[in-house]
Amino acid sequence: MEQPDTLIHQPLRLKLMAALRARPEGEKIEFVRLKALAEATEGNLGAHIQTLEQAGYVAVEKDFAGNRPRTRIALTRVGQRAFEDYVAYLRGIIGMGG
Amino acid sequence: MSLSSDQAAESLKEIDRTQRRSGEARRYAHSSPAFILWGVIWMVGYTATDFYPHHSGALWAFLMLVGFAGQLGIGWQRARAGEPHPGMNRYAGLRMLASFIAIGCFVTATYAVFGHVGWKQQASFVPLLASLFYVLIGLWAGMRFVITGIAVAALTLGGFFYLPAHFLLWMAAVGGGALILAGLWMRKI
Repeated sequence: MEQPDTLIHQPLRLKLMAALRARPEGEKIEFVRLKALAEATEGNLGAHIQTLEQAGYVAVEKDFAGNRPRTRIALTRVGQRAFEDYVAYLRGIIGMGG
Repeated sequence: MSLSSDQAAESLKEIDRTQRRSGEARRYAHSSPAFILWGVIWMVGYTATDFYPHHSGALWAFLMLVGFAGQLGIGWQRARAGEPHPGMNRYAGLRMLASFIAIGCFVTATYAVFGHVGWKQQASFVPLLASLFYVLIGLWAGMRFVITGIAVAALTLGGFFYLPAHFLLWMAAVGGGALILAGLWMRKI
């Protein structure tokens, strides 16, 4: 990769992708938990998730748990590959190879 | 756009930190219901043992069955929610049953080897053993398990040495309560 993926390069989106990548493939994380993991505020988190969703990097699922509305986010395979490419790019810069 | 070596290293550090937090949070959240379940079992078991000491054997056998069923239920619920434990497959129930039997055999064998063991020693041995497991698991899986293990061990020893007359009630309230509190703590990020 010559240039970093600008979608992931943004610091909060990088944290979101990292938090999701730490889970087993396809596992969803609730919005509120992802917010805490990424140390984000609600407003900007929603916008960043939307950006990642539009790129096909994450899948967003809205449903109800009992009577409570719930939003859950999972990393897609495309997102997983993009994240791994980005990490390889970073490692390449500091000479760790990939 | 290009990054300097320092910026890349900083980003990798942030990725590592976030992934560690995410993994730990997952392990804590998965353990939370089990801590609460066993906290309630300790509360019921130790309280009932204090009032009906002659029925303690049957009582604890029944509570172990409740614990076993509860653990299976927790695993099943996780799987339904799309967050199965990595080891949760069709053999998980058998492995869990084998774990319970192994622990039961170990505790029974230890009592047999040490000869006559009083009720207070028996009532404190399993909590101390559980504490050891929490600490050992925590060394690999997250500091909250270590803290829970140390707290339960300290409370058990405190009650054993300083409150011998009410040790069972102490274990019910403080031991069981500590597990429930740990379970609630595990839910938080």
